[in-house]
Amino acid sequence: MAEEKKNSVEVSEDEVMAPASEPGGVDEGRRNLLKLGIAGAGVAAATAGGVVIAKKLEGIPHDETYIPIREDYKPFDGRSLMQAFASSKQLIAKYPERVKAWEREVRKRDSKWDVVGGNAEFRKGKMSDVPGFTQLDYALSHGAWHTQSKFHGPAYGTNVGLFSWAQSDVAKNKWKFKSRLEASDTIKSAAKLYHAARCGIAPHDPRWDYHPLYDPVTEKEYSWEKDFPFKPKSVIVLLSEMDYVAMAAAPTVLADATSGQGYTDMANQAGSMAKFLRGLGYQAVAAGNDLGISTAYAVAAGLGELARAGWVIAPELGPRIRISKVYTDFDFVEYDNPREYGVTSFCENCKRCAVACPAKAITLDDKRTFEPVYEGAEDPDYTWNNNIGVFQWHSDSKKCWQYWCESGSSCAACIAACPYNKPDFWHHRFIDAQNVIAPGWVHSAMREFDILFGYGDINNPQKIKDFYKSGRKL
Amino acid sequence: MMDLTWYLLGVLTGISALMLRYLAARMQLTLVTWGGLLAGIGALLFCIAWAVGAYLEGVPRAAAMGLLMFVLGGIVILTVTARLIAKQNRDQQGGAS
Repeated sequence: MAEEKKNSVEVSEDEVMAPASEPGGVDEGRRNLLKLGIAGAGVAAATAGGVVIAKKLEGIPHDETYIPIREDYKPFDGRSLMQAFASSKQLIAKYPERVKAWEREVRKRDSKWDVVGGNAEFRKGKMSDVPGFTQLDYALSHGAWHTQSKFHGPAYGTNVGLFSWAQSDVAKNKWKFKSRLEASDTIKSAAKLYHAARCGIAPHDPRWDYHPLYDPVTEKEYSWEKDFPFKPKSVIVLLSEMDYVAMAAAPTVLADATSGQGYTDMANQAGSMAKFLRGLGYQAVAAGNDLGISTAYAVAAGLGELARAGWVIAPELGPRIRISKVYTDFDFVEYDNPREYGVTSFCENCKRCAVACPAKAITLDDKRTFEPVYEGAEDPDYTWNNNIGVFQWHSDSKKCWQYWCESGSSCAACIAACPYNKPDFWHHRFIDAQNVIAPGWVHSAMREFDILFGYGDINNPQKIKDFYKSGRKL
Repeated sequence: MMDLTWYLLGVLTGISALMLRYLAARMQLTLVTWGGLLAGIGALLFCIAWAVGAYLEGVPRAAAMGLLMFVLGGIVILTVTARLIAKQNRDQQGGAS
């Protein structure tokens, strides 16, 4: 009793609390406080995680190109562009050792395909009753390529059509922007008007230009110093999106059709952008695959990241893009930074493009290299088409071209199979968000789930039927 | 169609919140059971959104796989949590009597 009295002396009547075991007691109060604290910590952690994911999805900006480049790197020779070489009678005659090495590797694969006849074979196509290669499919593809062919010419044409170097229409008055930001905003708004899916602006970098320039159509060689009309200062890079449903039908002529439409869009968009800049009083030349390495400029302009197959993966669009460029002497702009989106890390673990490639032209090596390591790469007469000195996965595009010629389509199985190639639905953006923070083993698991969930399968005739129904609600 | 799904998911989220409030008023919920209920309901709602999205983009297999994985996950979590809540409340009632 005395003990109880002693304890109760210090507590006044007003301060008497409920027993600890009853709701609202001391322990209950502490428990609620603890719960609140843990819930608060959970919300704070989720918010911090969300901010980190959002930043990573935007891409980690770098001041300069973050892809390691070897000191002895030399700008790429325009005569060594695989498709330019393969379609040029003069280059084929000039470099017989390249043809010999190429055909030596082809024979190892028990094929009688020859380099000289390849281009004509590809142009002819392989029309048949096979779904995806019928008259309907080829007609669709020719329609898609029509504007590009009519107003520009072959994909590697230089100084021709909408990609002409003529500067006779440059306005006399130079339009002055109030700020660099206003100039960049205006250029990107114009890109949007011209239906570009993305637009970035990079400073001109001679490392990414072709030296010398070569036009396989006219078999002409051009020099930047003597022939190009001005000294470029900036390169505006435009991305055009290819159709998801048509691309899913790869490797058939439907994928070729959406590529063709991509080339048509490239010519339209870059052609319009160059004309716009000339109208503002600045010199500008539009380019598709010519003038410089499109992927390098797209990376420099922060539009995407170089992937295993050699193409660029752009956030939300994946590899289902075409890249065009506008070289200009206008430099009062805010340049975009190269950005890292976590693609390299994903590509290290995924390899789905390499597995899907029917020509086995894409390397399965885990890590990137400065030089190609594919079969036959020890012979320099066989690796002339690779951009040696850039730390990347080097594909054997010669194998790719052989498959194009033999199959009669421009394939695109690698693009269709890529887990980044998804339509714009919320659940894919959700997966993108978790991909940027996930470790490598999760990326491998994501590839397996992608397959399990039915994405990216190629050679599926149902996809052809799906495409021809895809416009029903248009 | 996706817009309608988001709307219905909003309604379902509201209903779920009311149900949780009702449950919390009548039963003793610990941090673990709160977490279980939220994760289970979240998985079910996520699954609906996933399945509709996948179906609309024309990949019914992804919709079916989503249903299988997320619904199953949600049901397992909710079942375990329900048993846990029942056990805790039984223990408490036993302790009180």
